[in-house]
Amino acid sequence: MQRRRFMQAVTTASTAATAAAQQTPPAGEPIKIGTVSADAAAEPVSRFFTSRQLAVLRHLSRLILPASNGRPGAAEAGAAEFLDFLISVSPAPRQQLYRGGLDFVDAEAERLFAKPFPEIDEQQADKILRPLLTPWTFDPPANPRQRFLAELRADLRTATMNSKEMARATANSPRRRRGPGGAAPYWLPIDPTR
Amino acid sequence: MANQNYDVLIVGSGHSGGMAAGVLTQKGLRCLMLNAGPVVDFERDRKFKAAHELPYRGFGNPNAHLDHVYQANEFNANTWVSEKEAPYSYPPGAPYNWVRVRLVGGRSLFWARQSFRLSDYEFKAADHDGAGDNWPISHDDLAPYYSRVERQFRVTGRKEGLPQFPDGDFVSVADGSESECQKRITAEARKMEIPVSRMRAALGEGGLASSVNLSIPGALATGKLDVVQNAVVREITVDKDTGRASGVIFLDRHTRREMRARARVVVLAAGTLESTRLLLNSNIANSSGLVGRYLIDQQYGCTVIAAMPEARDGKANPALIGGGLFIPRFRNLDTKSKRNFRGGYAIPMSTGSTPDAKYFPEYGAALQKKLDSYAGACVQGGIYGEVLPRYENHVRINKEQKDAWGIPTLHIEARYGENERNLCRDAADTMEELYKAAGLEILVKSDKVNPPGYSIHELGTCRMGDDPKKSVLNKFNQSHDIKNLFVVDGSAFVTGGWQNPTMTILALSMRASEYLADELKKGNL
Ligand SMILES: Cc1cc2nc3c(=O)[nH]c(=O)nc-3n(C[C@H](O)[C@H](O)[C@H](O)COP(=O)(O)OP(=O)(O)OC[C@H]3O[C@@H](n4cnc5c(N)ncnc54)[C@H](O)[C@@H]3O)c2cc1C
Repeated sequence: MQRRRFMQAVTTASTAATAAAQQTPPAGEPIKIGTVSADAAAEPVSRFFTSRQLAVLRHLSRLILPASNGRPGAAEAGAAEFLDFLISVSPAPRQQLYRGGLDFVDAEAERLFAKPFPEIDEQQADKILRPLLTPWTFDPPANPRQRFLAELRADLRTATMNSKEMARATANSPRRRRGPGGAAPYWLPIDPTR
Repeated sequence: MANQNYDVLIVGSGHSGGMAAGVLTQKGLRCLMLNAGPVVDFERDRKFKAAHELPYRGFGNPNAHLDHVYQANEFNANTWVSEKEAPYSYPPGAPYNWVRVRLVGGRSLFWARQSFRLSDYEFKAADHDGAGDNWPISHDDLAPYYSRVERQFRVTGRKEGLPQFPDGDFVSVADGSESECQKRITAEARKMEIPVSRMRAALGEGGLASSVNLSIPGALATGKLDVVQNAVVREITVDKDTGRASGVIFLDRHTRREMRARARVVVLAAGTLESTRLLLNSNIANSSGLVGRYLIDQQYGCTVIAAMPEARDGKANPALIGGGLFIPRFRNLDTKSKRNFRGGYAIPMSTGSTPDAKYFPEYGAALQKKLDSYAGACVQGGIYGEVLPRYENHVRINKEQKDAWGIPTLHIEARYGENERNLCRDAADTMEELYKAAGLEILVKSDKVNPPGYSIHELGTCRMGDDPKKSVLNKFNQSHDIKNLFVVDGSAFVTGGWQNPTMTILALSMRASEYLADELKKGNL
C-alpha cells in the first residue's frame, strides 16, 4: 500500500473509533450545570501596579467616590483592584498616564506633608487634588496630571456603577434595569472568523 | 452548478440594499444579494446581562480595535466592524470615525430611526445660498417615494408646514402634553423667530425598523431573492467587449474561497464608503474622476447644558420639566436669518436630564451633592450641523494597506473648515441665548464637535448629476459610464443638509430600483 493510502486508511479507522466512543446525551431536559463567576468565588490578584501604587489608588478611590445614599463607593466596589487588571491590559499610553499620575500624587504628599499619599487625610489630599481638577471641555486636558485625574474620576465611576455590589444595592430600585448596575442586551460574538 | 440567471446582483443588505431587493423582486426580477457578514439571530446572539457579568465590567476590551467607534461599548462591541480586520487610514492629526456594521441588515439593525426629508434648501443649495451644488432632482421628484417609505417604516411626526422641514406621510402625531420647561423654551424661541417642533422617527414593526424585518422578508417571500451571507465582495467585473458590468468576485469570509457571481445588472448598496471603495478597487465608472470626491457628513457635538433653577434640589417633576424638543433649521433661509456661514443646523433637545459627572470639577461628597442638586433638572442640546461638500474631502485606495481578505483599503481625508466652525459658534451662542431667555442657568457650553464621520452619515462620494463630467451617477443613481451599474446608497448625495439621511437613501433606492426594473423591461440595460 502506498504511504498516502495507508495513512488515509489509518485516519478513517481512528475517526470511526472516536465516533463509536462518543456518547449520546439522554433525551428530555437538556443538561444544565450551574456555575458561579470567578469574582463570586475568589479575589483578584493584583499584577500591574506596585503595592505602593495600588495603595495610592485605593486611597484615591475612597476620596473620589465614597459610599453614599446607601450605595457602595469605589472601595466597596473593588474599583482599584479592577482597574489594576483593566490598566494592565490597556495600551501603553494609558498605563503610563496611570502610573505617572499615581506616582505624582504620592510624591506631592511626600513633598508637602512628608507622608506617603495613603497616609494623608482628606484636607491634605484636597491640596493636591484640587489644582488638578479642570472644568469639562470637549478635549481632554493637555496636562497629563489633570488628564489622569479626569480619567480616574470617570473610570472609578464606571467601575463602581457597573459593579456587582451596586447591582445588589439597587436591586429593588425601579430604575434598576436602565440605571447603575442594571442589565442590558449583550451581543455575543456572531459567527466569528477564526 | 451555480444558478447564473440572476437579473440583478445587489451588494449589501442594509436599508439601501433591502429596499432595492424589495422593489426589484416585486417587479418580478430574480435577485442575488451578497453580504459581507452573517445573519443575526436576536434570540441566539443576544443575552440579557448585567455589566458586572461582562469580562471587562462594561468598560469593553481595551484591545477590541474599535478605536473610532465612539458608539461602541462592551454590550454591543461584537456588532461593529473591527478596525484590525477591516482597517482604513487617514492623515496624521485628521482622524475619521468610520462606523460600520457588516451583519445582514447592516446599520439598519442599530440606527436611531430619526427620520427626516431633505428640502429644496438642500436639493437646490446652489440656487439658494451656494452651500454646495444643485441636485438633478427636487423635493417634488422624491416626494411620492418619501411618502411610500414613511408609510412602510411608519414614521411619526408633527406637521409644521415649514418649507425647510417638509412634512411627511406620518402614521400618527407625536405630541402630548408639554412640561413647563418645554413651554418656556418654545415661547422664547418663537420670540427669536426659531421654530420648535418634535422629533420625527420611524416606529417600524415591534420596535425594529430594519431591512431584516421591513424589506428582506417580503423579497424572500416572492421566491425571487437569494441571499448569500459572509460574501465579501472584492471587485466588480466588467465584460471587456461590451464594457458592461458582468457581476462580481467575492471571497468567503471564513475560508477566503474566491467566487464569481453574474447578473444582468449590478446594484451597489454597500454603504457610501464601501460602495465607493468597490468602484475604486475595480477601477471603473470614474470617467469624471469624481468617485471618492466630495465626502460629506454631518457635524455632531456642540454641547450646551443648562439647568432650570425651579427644578433643582429634588423638585423636578413631569409637569415642570421633561420631554424633548426639536428645532429644525432656521438659519440662512432668508436675508434676515443669514449669518457668516452657509447651510444650516438643527438642535435636538432633551429636558429633564441629569448631567454627567464629568461636567462638574468636583469629587467626593461635594460632587455627589452637585449631582443630587441637578438631578433631572437639566436641558441638554446639541447640533445636527451641515457640512459643505468640498472636492478636497475625499477617499482613495491605500495600496499599502490590505484588509483581512487581501483587499486594498481606503484612505479617508476629511476636514471641517471655517464654514463648519462658524456654524458651530452660532449654534452654541444661539442655544445659550435661548436658554438664558428661558430663565435657565448655563452649566456647560462648548462649540466643539466630534471628528468627521462620528454622525455615521457619510455621503456624497459618487454624487449624482446631469453632467457626466461633473458627476458619477445620473438622477436615477445609474452610472453615467456603465449603464447596467447602479449605486443606491448615500454616496449619490450632492449635499447632505442637517437631516439624518436614511429616509432620503431609502426613497432614492426605491426610485432607482423602479427605474431599473422599467429600463430592463424596455431592453435598455
Ligand atoms: C447607531 C446608529 C444610529 C443611527 N441613527 C440614524 C438615525 O437616527 N437616522 C438616520 O437617518 N440614520 C441613522 N443612522 C445611519 C443609518 O443607519 C444609515 O444611513 C443607513 O443604515 C445606511 O444604509 P446603507 O444600506 O447605505 O448602508 P449599511 O447599513 O452600512 O449597509 C451596507 C451593507 O453592505 C455590506 N457590505 C459592505 N461592504 C461589502 C462588501 N465588500 N461585500 C459585501 N457586502 C458588503 C455590509 O455588510 C452592510 O450590511 C445611524 C447609524 C447608526 C450605526
